Amino acid sequence: MTATISDTGSVTNTKSTEGNRLRVAGKLWQAGGPLVIFIAMFAVVAILTPAFIGSGGITIVAASAAPILLVALGQAFVLNIGSIDLSNAAITVLGAILLAMLLGPLAIAAPIVVLVLVTLFGAVNGFLLAYTQVPSFALTLGTLGIFKAASLVVSGATTVYVSQNKEVVSPLYTTQLAGLPLTFVLGVVVAAIAYLFLRFTRAGMGMTAIGKNESGAIFSAVRTRALKITAFALSGFMAGLAGMTIIAQAGSASAMGLGSDLLLPAIAAAIVGGTSISGGVTNPLNVILGALTIALVPIATAAIGVAAEAQNLVYGVVIIVVVALTLTRSRTAIVK
Amino acid sequence: MAPTQTSESAANVKVDTAAIRAREQVTARRVMFAGSGEPLALIGAMVVLIVIFSILNPRFATIENLQNVLNQASLPLIIGLGATLVILIGSIDLSVEGVMGASGVAFVLLSANSRGGHDTGLWAWILPLVLAAALGATSGLIYTMLRVPSFIVTLGMWFVGFGIATILYGTDAYPELTDDTVTLWVAKITLGLPNGFWVAAILTVLMALVIRFTRFGRVALAMGNNEEIARSNGMPIVRNKVFIFIVAGLFSGLAGILATMQMGGTSNHIGDGYLFITIPAVVIGGTSLGGGKGGVFRTAIGVLLLTILNNGLVLAGVSPSYQSAVSGAILVVAIVAAAWPQRGRLRIAK
Amino acid sequence: MTKAKEATTPVLRLTDVKKSFGSVHALKGISLEIHRGEVIGLIGENGAGKSTLLKILTGIYQPDKGTIAVNGSTVKFRNPRDSAASGIGVVHQEQSLFTNLTVAENIAMNGAASKGYGTTLGFYRWGKLNKAAASTLEIIGSKLNPKTRVGDLSFVDRQMVEIARAISVDTSKNATPLVILDEPTSLLERGETAILEREIRKLKDFGSVIFVSHRLDEIIRNCDRILVMRHGELVADRVTTSVTEDELFKLMVGHESHATAHERRARPANEVPAIEVTGLTRKGKFKNVSLSVHSGRVTAIVGTSGSGREEFSRAIFGAEKFDGGTIVLNGQPARGWRIPKAVKRGMGFVPAERKVEGMVGGFSAAENIVLTHPGDAAIGPILLPWKRNKIAQRWFSTLDVRPNDISQNLERFSGGNQQKVVMAKWLNDPELRVLVLDHPLRGLDPGAAETVNEQIKEACKKGTAVILLADTLEEALEMGDDVVVMRDGVISATYDLSVDNPSTLDLLERMV
Repeated sequence: MTATISDTGSVTNTKSTEGNRLRVAGKLWQAGGPLVIFIAMFAVVAILTPAFIGSGGITIVAASAAPILLVALGQAFVLNIGSIDLSNAAITVLGAILLAMLLGPLAIAAPIVVLVLVTLFGAVNGFLLAYTQVPSFALTLGTLGIFKAASLVVSGATTVYVSQNKEVVSPLYTTQLAGLPLTFVLGVVVAAIAYLFLRFTRAGMGMTAIGKNESGAIFSAVRTRALKITAFALSGFMAGLAGMTIIAQAGSASAMGLGSDLLLPAIAAAIVGGTSISGGVTNPLNVILGALTIALVPIATAAIGVAAEAQNLVYGVVIIVVVALTLTRSRTAIVK
Repeated sequence: MAPTQTSESAANVKVDTAAIRAREQVTARRVMFAGSGEPLALIGAMVVLIVIFSILNPRFATIENLQNVLNQASLPLIIGLGATLVILIGSIDLSVEGVMGASGVAFVLLSANSRGGHDTGLWAWILPLVLAAALGATSGLIYTMLRVPSFIVTLGMWFVGFGIATILYGTDAYPELTDDTVTLWVAKITLGLPNGFWVAAILTVLMALVIRFTRFGRVALAMGNNEEIARSNGMPIVRNKVFIFIVAGLFSGLAGILATMQMGGTSNHIGDGYLFITIPAVVIGGTSLGGGKGGVFRTAIGVLLLTILNNGLVLAGVSPSYQSAVSGAILVVAIVAAAWPQRGRLRIAK
Repeated sequence: MTKAKEATTPVLRLTDVKKSFGSVHALKGISLEIHRGEVIGLIGENGAGKSTLLKILTGIYQPDKGTIAVNGSTVKFRNPRDSAASGIGVVHQEQSLFTNLTVAENIAMNGAASKGYGTTLGFYRWGKLNKAAASTLEIIGSKLNPKTRVGDLSFVDRQMVEIARAISVDTSKNATPLVILDEPTSLLERGETAILEREIRKLKDFGSVIFVSHRLDEIIRNCDRILVMRHGELVADRVTTSVTEDELFKLMVGHESHATAHERRARPANEVPAIEVTGLTRKGKFKNVSLSVHSGRVTAIVGTSGSGREEFSRAIFGAEKFDGGTIVLNGQPARGWRIPKAVKRGMGFVPAERKVEGMVGGFSAAENIVLTHPGDAAIGPILLPWKRNKIAQRWFSTLDVRPNDISQNLERFSGGNQQKVVMAKWLNDPELRVLVLDHPLRGLDPGAAETVNEQIKEACKKGTAVILLADTLEEALEMGDDVVVMRDGVISATYDLSVDNPSTLDLLERMV
């Protein structure tokens, strides 16, 4: 039963005060839910495995969460405009490989060049989407294949090692701030900037408007095409940052190695962090918690001592349960 | 009954009816040919590809290779039937590979295999399929009852299914099927076509009939078009959705069993890679991801197209590294071509 | 005995029906009777209780007190299927057809009718289904092919299918169909309403009709009796021949109409027009359309659907393309015309589809108001929420938007208040040169409509040029300084209302 408010202001809905209370509760959960879930999970692990915190468990989780977080933030921007980017994890891998190859010859210029390139890759996705008006799922499924192949070809289907100048990026991983590797801190900073961008700039509001009602946004003179390209470009950019964290951590990159399976965890992290899959709702700060939660699961199951064969099973169950809990549901919305 | 301006309304009725009737006839004519454009274009593309690949490698156009192509197309087609049904209601099923793994491993362990298992006869079919249906039902129930988007539920079930496969597989050696008749059945040629393909073809026709002639199928189409209207019409939404996911699970399970038979054994990874073949095939075939439009014959065309493509690329000597690029590029081109005529300033595509 | 009973037993009788939601009394005791062959008009402002009454009749709500009797027997509708089984069919404002299915299938989807309507044990018998649909369509005089896909039909044809669906009740029960038409004409153009009115006359032979509408002239034209609701009560039950539109307005709203006469300015001689369109053409939609509007004047464009006026108005806003012709805004030509550019040059557009195009429902009212022209609420790209709220609050009091909560999501407001917010969004531009309004009063009850019209006049006073696609001819003649008539994509007549004095009949003749 939806409330209808007549022109004279009287509300014809029995559950008006009850509805208001539910709405407030829903908003609170939307804001704080992911935090509660993460603390709960962390507490469970800490109780079952007290040694976890002592032996640097937090650091391990944060290091593992960093690339997931960055890719998830990029995905959150795209989900926010109502689309999806299935190719950004592949861009991460490609970016990492390119960085590994270019660090030697280009030193400090290498990260900059790679970041420009990955942003361009993302922009191409956005450009195709905005100008040909094709569904993003199918489009990025296609570009995913292209980027994957590019990774294989460029790397010659082997692992690419950084030959020289590793020091340009490795401090990101080796330096720690309050026990958290800089890679993770980088993710947090990016999340904070993303939050401010979405809430306090016209472009950010415009993106959210596209996600909530694109037709309404178009007729309100929101520059939808430019913003769509921007969202995908940002997704590419953050994928590139994620690639940097991989090089910082491993010193090498391959199409099959570290970071090659970030897509699904990153999407899950964005959604656990409260991002709506239909668009118009996201909170980058909560995506931080989403990434931590998703990163925590495999580490926690190993630490607790769950048998290796059962880890996938646990991972799947946890994802479903956590999302089922954190999802904000509107009573009348259609879930697809 | 007091129409205040009789002359006005009478004149209107006469003139307007004529104009509107005329428009009706134009619509009727246009309607007859609408909707047949896309599949024809795809079949045309297939023909073009066949010609190109035959030129690149004469071995492509042999009967043997044709049977090979149909064999390769069988499993994606079977999975595609379930996927089409799910996509018709606007959802998605990512759990395909996990369910395949679970059913496949279950099938091996229940058949005569190198680890010492016995041939349990029909149970080797029934139990894995029940498992697959149960996984599908779980997906469907979580999706409808807890209202978790299908993307997430089936993503989780992918891991769950894969996890079950991993647990069943255990830590022993790779189990091989010891009964050769079983192993060779899928690829065996009966009446000119591989058995596996017969299964796929028969199931395809069956699904097409179900969608066209049963209430279940019609309600699925209605739900995909506008779920809200369907709900307010009192249609059995929840029941139908769960059933659809069960059917999708069954098809994945069946594919897992057949794949295992063909491989002569299995690991929990038997399903790897099928998702990214099936979904593009459905999309290229013309079933809309938003739901309500498409069908199993279109998916069949999409599957055939992609299989011909992959087969041809291999025979033409293209390195495996490039294959995903070519499939990806074809997918992009296909959807751009399909969307191009409908472009407009106000068109919304997500 | 039976014949006499049939004649006097009402098809529907409500006795003292009450319905409350918590402390809100939506229906305070409604009693009414409807006889076979009657067309009853039901009018009332939004919030008067009309929709609650309809929802009780269609089984969505159950009354707290009172009884409902169909054909003399008391009934209880526990759900919509019960209501449909009693012969009550409803055609809603929003279309409720499945566009990917055929006409026949949609007609058969009516819950009560689907059993045995063409399905056997869950299997569809297409031959039977199509025949049944064809016979239902014939009752209302439609010759649509039942095999046509609904998505390919025009709006008017879809309305036919909706009506057919509503009357495809289980005729085996000999139920007398009662068809409820819920604002069926709000989306129809003048020429098309004639078709609908013919259907209504056919339905009289077949059963009874409840006709809900905001258009008082249509109510008077089509109905035998008129029921007026206000604040949950039935305040009047009048035979049509005994009331006038003004009386109905007063009964509905409680006071006389406040509408002020529009001061007509003569067309200025030397001033550069705010917008000048020359020879605008779009293949298949409109051809060679030229008009110019000066600052402070209103040009109303009238025409039926297919006249091209909607496409034209959208084209000059940059929302749709055009193939030829020029647009000149304030003396400056428009090149590469798209919405962001048009808006930057001082244009505004209030679309007909409010929920889909006019606003972003998931945003708050405040966010909607500053979405296009933030004004002080933004420094460059940065938004200042506190300034935004101030601006929104100011508009809320100017336009008397209720309830007075700028942070509420716009989708939760009623249609009239939503439209006020949409107007505010455009009026927030201090340099609004041209405002185009497409059916701005659609779905608004007369009280809210008045407010919107006042705002249009205010905008004129401030110098905005207005292009208005009016819902009715009367509105066009009342609000316009010039009236342009379009037919089949071209202009068929132009009137300067400061010198000409066309009647609605004159306009109609040029429209068809």
